[in-house]
This record gives sequence, structure tokens and C-alpha cells, in this order.
Amino acid sequence: MQLEGKVALVTGGRQGIGAAIVQRFELEGAKVVTCGRGARPSNMAPNIDWVQADVSCTKQMAKLKNHVVTHYSALDVLVNNAGVQIEKTLVDTSDEDWDLLMGANAKGVFNAIRSLLPIMTSGGSIINMGSVSGSTADPGLALYNASKAFVHGLTRSVAVDHGPNVRCNAICPGWIMTAMSDSAFAVARNPAAAKQDALARHPTGRFGTPADIANMALWLAGRESQFVTGQLFTVDGGLTAASPLNPSLF
Amino acid sequence: MADEKIFTEHLKRRVAVVTGGCGGIGQAICRRFTNEGAQVIAADVAPMPEALQASVYYFYHDVTSEQSAQDLMAFVVQKFGHLDVLVNAAGIEIEKTIEETSLDEWQRIFAINVTGTFLTSKYGVPLMRKKGAGSIINFGSYDGFIADPSLAAYCATKGAVHALTKAMACDYGKENIRVNAICPGFVATLMLENFFGDSGDIESLKQEVRDIHPLRRYGTPDDMANLVNWLAGDEARYASGALWVLDGGLTAQVQQMKL
Repeated sequence: MQLEGKVALVTGGRQGIGAAIVQRFELEGAKVVTCGRGARPSNMAPNIDWVQADVSCTKQMAKLKNHVVTHYSALDVLVNNAGVQIEKTLVDTSDEDWDLLMGANAKGVFNAIRSLLPIMTSGGSIINMGSVSGSTADPGLALYNASKAFVHGLTRSVAVDHGPNVRCNAICPGWIMTAMSDSAFAVARNPAAAKQDALARHPTGRFGTPADIANMALWLAGRESQFVTGQLFTVDGGLTAASPLNPSLF
Repeated sequence: MADEKIFTEHLKRRVAVVTGGCGGIGQAICRRFTNEGAQVIAADVAPMPEALQASVYYFYHDVTSEQSAQDLMAFVVQKFGHLDVLVNAAGIEIEKTIEETSLDEWQRIFAINVTGTFLTSKYGVPLMRKKGAGSIINFGSYDGFIADPSLAAYCATKGAVHALTKAMACDYGKENIRVNAICPGFVATLMLENFFGDSGDIESLKQEVRDIHPLRRYGTPDDMANLVNWLAGDEARYASGALWVLDGGLTAQVQQMKL
């Protein structure tokens, strides 16, 4: 029970990585609040506190903060997980795409930290969701890549400006099996072959699972990482330790 | 990439030593330095190519030997009095995993790629100090950041060169001696030919690897010489301790899944 008695807020806990983090934090004894744009998911465990809130909206984040203060008085762990991915190159991207993607991935992280950091306990931990795509580019994901680089930069700034009170780190997932990655394979010419090829590029021989990311989030949330701040933690099965050459060629 | 170059002679009267100066990239650097007005010494264990003989000095230099480094710098002092630019371009590659690599092979690649950079710089720095300025350009590789399969010892030597570059920049910056490393990707040289080997459908392989590059071509020795030339000169006077990746965009990408 590594998070016994702690209060944790995970944005975007409806599905995928967010849902895995919510579940794990709850198992480790935390009181978990999560939020999303829609209504409470029907399959969500009853002891998880769902708040309908859009991270891109400043007012809704202020309301979320009031909710946390009213019900829990303070916050120990904030996980900025909410995010969207749009598969477009820069010239194909519309203003609406920009607003949606940057609203969630960039402004959302800014909004959540700005609103919630003042109610965090001393020794609190903020965990942002960066990406391997924030350091090296995935094709056809221009704004997504850029938004994750923003998250990486903001992570360092928050760590520098708001230590020693809180720590702030980012996790950079690689290919995690979620609805988001399935949609990437769905556009492949040959989805099955694409999946095989992608697998061959992982030294660990498998894709990541949301639980792999939750493991890292738990470590960053807990006391084991109390000297760790301002850093990016890549959890990608070794993908980006190798060069972009196709390993099957050699 | 046949572009008409206008040489500004910005290295006029500068003295430059290029280790591995007779290799593919080394020759291009020697040629460019000469065109920019420098006095160039190609320091290599390989013999001088005929094309360079008229314009470049040659010194037999085994980068793994301390005596050889001392002899080389004694020659430079006697001939020119000081040294402005040192390019540590000598290097080898071993295509093996750590289990396949013998201790002798491991020690040999470290002796050339790492100890060679150390020794030639160690005896070159005092000659730069004489002049009150200098530029050292080491050869790293993107393999010093991320790995290619079956190049374990090579990757390790290049990581060592990157760290050594920063350490040297840190120690000698106050004496106006700048130290940088260029980190090439795939450059069309004999080393690359050896890497591709000679069995199977080499042409398709070459084409496939080429097409993974955002610029859709391999680098040329002249591409490397362009950056080395800039780092050698006064335009780069504030550049030090940096690793300059020059790979046609290859490592700007996450691995390119075949979607």
C-alpha cells in the first residue's frame, strides 16, 4: 500500500493509461479523483470519484480544484494524463485540430497545474504524460509531437520553480496497447504486417501495456522517488534506444 | 550534390592536423582546409592518396601510440611553430555483439577511437596554447546516443568520445581552445561499404536504408567537411562542448514502422 492515505487526481481516467493509473493508485490505498469530458463511465469502480471536467477549460479546472478542497482538503499527487492524438501533418492541420489538441495536451497540463498546485501538500508529486514523440518525431503526428515537447519543457520549469514544495516529472511512453495505438495500426496498408514490424523493433519483444506506465507513475508518485524531479522517464521497451533503421534489414 | 563552392580562405595561415586524413571523410576535410587556405597535415597509418600529395603534408601517425603523437607534434612545431586546428577523424568499426567481440578487438577499437583522440589532443593542446586559441573537432556518431545492432564496442567508443569532448571543452575553454564533436550518420565511405558487406541483395538494402533518411540520401564526405570547416573557423567562435549530429535527419525520427 504505497499510497495509503494519499489523495491523487488523475486527469483523463476514463480509459487506457489513465484508467490503469486510477486502478493502480486505488489498489495502493490512495483516494482517487479522476475527470473527463463525458459522464461517469459505467464500468468505473464505485469508490473512484469521477468529476466531469474538461482540462482545456480554465473555469472547469477551478471547479475541479474546489471539489478537491471541499472533499479532501488537499492533494498529494497530480497525474496529467488527459490527451488527444490527431494523425495529421502540419499542413493538413486545421484551426479546430489545433484548439482540440493543444487545448488538451498543452493548455490542459498548464491549466491543471496552475489550478491544483496551490492546494498540493508539501512533498507532493506531479506526473505529466510526455511521449517518446516529444523528443523524436513520429511521422504524420506534427502537433502531437510538438505538444509533448511542450510537456517536457513545462515539466522542467515546474520542477525548478516549485521545488522543494512539489516534485514534477514526466513519463514518456512508447507504443502502448490502447485505443490510441490501435488507431495508428488501423491506417496501415497491412495492419498485421505493420504490427509484426513494430514488434521487431522492441528489444523487449512486446508492446507496452497501460499497467507498465502505471508502474512508473506509482514509483514517481511515492516516496521511493523523493529525490527525483524535473526528469523525463522513457518507458518504451527499448524502442528509442535503437536507431531508426529497420532491424530486420541486418 | 555538386555545388559550386566559393572558398573564403577563412583558414588562411592556420595550421591543421587531420588524423585519419587519408580516409574517406579525412581526405574531404584535408581538401576543404587546403581550399580555405590552411596548411594541412594528414596524419594517418594509411599512405597518402595521390590526389592530396601536391597540397597536403603527410605524417605517419599511429593514433594509439604516445610516441607517435609526440613525434607528430614535434614535426608540427618544427614546421609551423604552433597548431590551430586538430581533427580527430581516425576511427574503426567492429560489427559484433559483445559476446562475439574478443578482448583484443575491444581494446583495439578503444585504442583507436578513444585513446587516439585522447593522445593526439593531449599533445596538440600545448601547441594551441602557444597561439592562444584553437579548435579541436572529434568524431562522435549518432551511435554514441542510440544503438545500431551488432555494433556494441563501436557504440561504446563513440559515447566515450562524446563525454571526452565535453570534458575537454570544459577544461580548455578559458584558454580559448574550443572542442566539439560531429556525429555523422550514414556517410558514403569505405566504412559504410564494409558495413553493408558483400552478400545478398546489397543494392536493395542500400536503397531501403537510404529511404529511411528524411533527406533520402546518404551523407557525403563533403557534407562532413562542410561542418568541420565551420567548426574549425572563427564563425564558430562561441561553439564549444557541443555534439553536432549530421545525419540527414535520420535520428530526428522515432523508428520508422512500415505502416
